[in-house]
Amino acid sequence: MTVKEKLNMLEDLLDIERDSLNEDLGLDEVENWDSMAVIALIAMFDESFEKVLTPAEVKKFKTIKDIVDQME
Amino acid sequence: MATGILRDVEIKVIACAVPDNIKKSKDYTEVFGEESVQKFINMTGIKTRHVALDEQCASDLCYVAAKSLMEKLNWEPSSIDALIMITQTPDYAVPATACVLQHRLGLSEDCIAFDINLGCSAYVYGVWQAATIISTQDLNRVLLLVGDTSNFGINPYDSATAMVFGDGGTATALEKTKGKELKYFLKTNGNKFKSIIVPAGHARSRSRINNAPDYDLSMDGSEIFTFAITDVPRSIKSFMKQYDIGVNDVDMYVFHQANLFILKHVSKKLGIPMEKVAVSIDRYGNTSGESIPLTLVDALGEDKSSETIRLFLCGFGVGLSWGGIYLELDKSVCLPMIYTNDYFKEG
Repeated sequence: MTVKEKLNMLEDLLDIERDSLNEDLGLDEVENWDSMAVIALIAMFDESFEKVLTPAEVKKFKTIKDIVDQME
Repeated sequence: MATGILRDVEIKVIACAVPDNIKKSKDYTEVFGEESVQKFINMTGIKTRHVALDEQCASDLCYVAAKSLMEKLNWEPSSIDALIMITQTPDYAVPATACVLQHRLGLSEDCIAFDINLGCSAYVYGVWQAATIISTQDLNRVLLLVGDTSNFGINPYDSATAMVFGDGGTATALEKTKGKELKYFLKTNGNKFKSIIVPAGHARSRSRINNAPDYDLSMDGSEIFTFAITDVPRSIKSFMKQYDIGVNDVDMYVFHQANLFILKHVSKKLGIPMEKVAVSIDRYGNTSGESIPLTLVDALGEDKSSETIRLFLCGFGVGLSWGGIYLELDKSVCLPMIYTNDYFKEG
């Protein structure tokens, strides 16, 4: 999966415009990044990557790149 | 994993009473904003909830359910051997609500009565406990009452909990019946006990008596979610494998109604089509320990056929505590939903 595809997955998850995210964005700058997005992210990792993210791990994510790096 | 088969016991009737009073999620737009409320509805599925009056306790709702159940079965109060009450919102810190209800229902002095403190897993533990004493002791009839008025102790400005909970009280009649059985599994992980907690109000945090937020329910949504989509399906898979139960051996799955997103995710993970999953959360909210019998009554209460169905019941949450039960039930055991504003004025 390319970085662009991963970013598109995150955009769909956050219900924001396609191609609006880039890897350097800090999560505090991302629209719709809230407690419900965290839950949706945990679900997406479980379903699409068969990976269990703990809430503590999600809290350590600072940028979009931190998430993208785990999407494999 | 604690698993087993309990024999010669049957669920005879299930009744449920909810408060008349309805609250809509959309009515919270002034507090949390329209967008947040819509997102909340999309994720949780919760559109309305039945919320108890200030005077109305879990015991009051359970009492109404128990009365209609005893009437339906023609059970004389003196014929009931045990009353088990499971609630996290008891009438008093002391005594046990089961004792108050033993008196109120006119049960005999020879009736065993006690409370158990569990939430989302309450029904599974309750059925296991009631079935155990029938199966292993010389007792015939047990009344299991499971109810909560979870909206007591909720901070109305906490978006994680304010719109989530519905109130209700249920009564289940279990009786010794030759040839009937149920299979169960039960699990606990106290390591995460802080995930859902009311810190104050009891013995542990007496020194912080003036810190009001400590009296409110605190819930770590993402922690609970991770638990619900990992540990819970793993246990279900292992239980199903142990007893060789396939998806086609179950006609209806009744999960604790935590939130619609969890229900869908867990079902998908287990390969269960949503048509087999009973849903009540959209109209009743997260109804804590009573969610399983409430959802059964919602799904089958108006069904007059006497068809037997195979059910898998699964409760999971506060504790953390979880468990499942596989059993057969006649559809007609569920009475129609009762709506009430009654409460115990002598309390």
